[in-house]
Amino acid sequence: MILLLAALAIPALTGTALILTGRDSVRSSEANANLVSLVASVATAALVVATVITRPKVDYQWLPSLGVRWQFSVDGISAPLLILTAALGIAVVVHARSYPPHGGSATTFYGCLQLVEFGALATFLSRDAVVFFLSFEVVLIPMWVLISRFGDSHDLPARADASGRFVLYTVLGSTLMLVGILALVHSAGTANLDALAAARGAGLGRSTQMVIAALLLVGLGIKIPLWPFHTWLPPAHTIAPTAGSVLLAAILLKMGTYGIVRLVIAPLPIGFGALAPVFAAAGVIGILWGGLACLVENDLKRLIAYSSVAHMGFVVLGLSSGTTVGLQAALFANIAHGVVSALLFFLVGGLKERWGSADLATARAALREVSPRLGLALVVGFAASLGLPGLVGFWGEFLAMYSAWSPAADRPEGFMRVLAVLAVTGTAVAAGYSLRVLRLIWSGDRTSPTHVDAHGGEWSVLAVLVSAVLVLGVAPGIVLNTTSKDVSVITSEVSR
Amino acid sequence: MSQAVVAVNAGVLLPILAPAIGAAVVLVVDIAAQRLRRTHYMIALVSLVVGAVGTFAGLGMVAGDARQTLCLPGGGQCMYAADAVASALQLAALLAAGVTLLLSWPDDKKQSSGGTAVIVSLVLAATAGATAVAGARDLGSWLVALELATLPTVALVALRGARSAISGAIALLTTALVSFGLLALAAALWFTATGSGFLTPAAALTAIDDPTRRPILVLAVALVVAGIGFKLSLVPFHAWTPEAYDGAPLPIAAFLAGVSKIAALAALLIVIRAIAPLGAPALISIAIVAAASMTLGNIMALRQNGVVRLLAWSTVAQAGWVVMPLATVTSGAVFASGAYLLAYVLATLLVFAVVAALVQTRGAARARDLSGYHALVHDHPVLAAALGLALLSLAGLPPGVLGLVAKVTALRPVVAGELWWLAVIAAVNAVLGVAVYLRWLRVVMATAEPDTDVTASVAAPALSAHPATLVAVGLAAVALVVTSMNPQLILGLLGS
Repeated sequence: MILLLAALAIPALTGTALILTGRDSVRSSEANANLVSLVASVATAALVVATVITRPKVDYQWLPSLGVRWQFSVDGISAPLLILTAALGIAVVVHARSYPPHGGSATTFYGCLQLVEFGALATFLSRDAVVFFLSFEVVLIPMWVLISRFGDSHDLPARADASGRFVLYTVLGSTLMLVGILALVHSAGTANLDALAAARGAGLGRSTQMVIAALLLVGLGIKIPLWPFHTWLPPAHTIAPTAGSVLLAAILLKMGTYGIVRLVIAPLPIGFGALAPVFAAAGVIGILWGGLACLVENDLKRLIAYSSVAHMGFVVLGLSSGTTVGLQAALFANIAHGVVSALLFFLVGGLKERWGSADLATARAALREVSPRLGLALVVGFAASLGLPGLVGFWGEFLAMYSAWSPAADRPEGFMRVLAVLAVTGTAVAAGYSLRVLRLIWSGDRTSPTHVDAHGGEWSVLAVLVSAVLVLGVAPGIVLNTTSKDVSVITSEVSR
Repeated sequence: MSQAVVAVNAGVLLPILAPAIGAAVVLVVDIAAQRLRRTHYMIALVSLVVGAVGTFAGLGMVAGDARQTLCLPGGGQCMYAADAVASALQLAALLAAGVTLLLSWPDDKKQSSGGTAVIVSLVLAATAGATAVAGARDLGSWLVALELATLPTVALVALRGARSAISGAIALLTTALVSFGLLALAAALWFTATGSGFLTPAAALTAIDDPTRRPILVLAVALVVAGIGFKLSLVPFHAWTPEAYDGAPLPIAAFLAGVSKIAALAALLIVIRAIAPLGAPALISIAIVAAASMTLGNIMALRQNGVVRLLAWSTVAQAGWVVMPLATVTSGAVFASGAYLLAYVLATLLVFAVVAALVQTRGAARARDLSGYHALVHDHPVLAAALGLALLSLAGLPPGVLGLVAKVTALRPVVAGELWWLAVIAAVNAVLGVAVYLRWLRVVMATAEPDTDVTASVAAPALSAHPATLVAVGLAAVALVVTSMNPQLILGLLGS
């Protein structure tokens, strides 16, 4: 219990302390801030691993007037996301050693990173629906600061626009989600997520379930981001500093899909079942839309952002199928996208620093020739992104398409099969854009203008993520076995 | 044995008597010794603290309990009854008045026209009106107390004597007169409908079942909503607000935004509780007014460049949130409305305190204009942090957890009453509100110095803020930090 609370308290207190103490951007304070953050992130990660192993439960009264309690615990669904969050919490700090933040004081930068990590961990740990919402909101302002102060300063109005868009879209989503949560809590009579999941919507009529599910799906859909609510994501990614992009893509987007599992699929099976075809269709449109945009996009960061929209579309497709396989696929694809997008954003962030921009139209030295380590990471990252078997990207997307082909009994089978076929087309598009990027920046024989290869902190982060792509690709059971038990509990009534 | 007509318990009336006696003492002292400016303020603060202590016994009482006095003989009805919500509003009014006095604390260097006794006694009189209306249960006291809370503010706005102050005061006076007319008419109709001089559910019940008297009661309620709407700055009765705020001296604007709003809501809550048996049709007008207020207030606030005008429009928007829960007849509506008001008053007072401190250090022209806040975080990091926390609390985003919990509280009754359209409008307005306050915060956090301000900062001598102002900032900031960590401290005041 102490472990769990400490895992939350350390990033929260470190982040607050860093922001309050730092004011000037003195060079020495930057190294100190990095060191403090590194120690805090490592300690947090150790505590998160211990928490995942020991599975403690925390339950304190917090707001008796509203019936809100500090309820935290871990299960198979949240465990992989917690580990991913903690691991990337370390990675962003290590990577920032190679690329110090510019645009403001270093202590603010590291403080915001810690607070984002705190908010994400609290979101994945909380078992009270209202605390889940509050944790969801914690990440907003730190992320807004990361984008609006430490983001790409080439185009200041664009930066203001991107950060504002990120906050406003997300607040709209989370407030709609809050309305849905309050309606769910009011009609079900409990705010405990486990109790809500166990009740399976008992006592709630079909129309009530549909209204609540619709509010929650739109609210969380903005966060995922689901087509057509995705328009905030590409500018936010383009402008955000590397650490911000990584946390945004790898962790913050997952809070949306995780919320759908906890708040919609488990407690509102009938309402979700009714809306699932629409939800799945939006996901598949996202797959095609994102993929087609990637075929013509010339800004590399924006391209990866659009590919995120496509990958999250597969997660949505898996969630919609209503089967154990589909839910497993979605949770695995969540983690896979977390690892792959983190790898690609670290990589592209470094390339942007070297090149001065992320424009694909400019002729560069081929990575294969001048920086083999970056080249290797790029090949592995995009190979995983296109879903090559044996790499981490394959399992989630393959299983998601399989589950859409054979969905649960109450889903329209023909329609879901059409969606599955369209999703397969989407993987072909993914192959197209991945190979396009590799052709443009990896292959060729240009060697000028040359740049240094990855080394030190940057290389260690890339190497670890490349290994994760390979290991999880060869042995997906590591994640699938963790999630299987809790997933089958959720789907036991719906699946055939 | 002669029996008193009504039984008076002075201890119960302490929240009203203390500021009223304080006002009288200040005037007497002013006659006796004319140069004691600071003594007036000390007397006033003591009387406010005594009044605040007097509210303690009523805080957090269970629903249905109330501290009563001025009861008719033979166990008859009481003209004064303060339950938990009323006591909490009284406490808030007394403390807000204290902050106002700290902000207007006399400066040694400036030889003012000796009007401090007048200012102090007017503030105390209006505060006594605010605390009295919270406990008034009969039409006469209710009406008189509400006017006592309003009329002194007209003089307070006008006292500065500048042209803008006079026009603000005239706007306020006109509003006060129209509002009084509506409320007097409402009181007359109430008496006609119920035949009772008491604002109690029992009185309302007698009229509800009678088809001829019911419409009169509904009309009375509609007039109350309109009359109080003027005082709460609800659309379409809001037009005086920007004029009066902008024309008034800053501490008086803070008084209008704090104590006056508490008085108005307290008066409204008494009527709302009395007509609870009337049901939803009478309350649809509140839903419409709430939706219109938050939308227009936020949109206009987005367009303001003067911070006081921005705060005035933000008051309009927040007033919509305050009355929104009252659009439903669910049990938590009064509690939610009170909770939202307390959170709003605390955050707004902190903003006003910071603005007042900046007026003293940087000059009024700079501190009252949004562009004057450029890079405040570098010049005054502590004030900027306090301002940031207050703005985020108004926006309802962590770390301003109090504001976020207030939004959750305010939305709960709306969702429970299944007013989906109102909930969705509120969600959209949460986004607009965030845009309003982040627009200010973005300026505060900006990094680069603008070219135009270089000369101004060189020319302006470095002034320091008055210690009393800094005390006000400190008290409000500590209160906001503590209640953000544990919002139950505020929610608990309002009872269960």
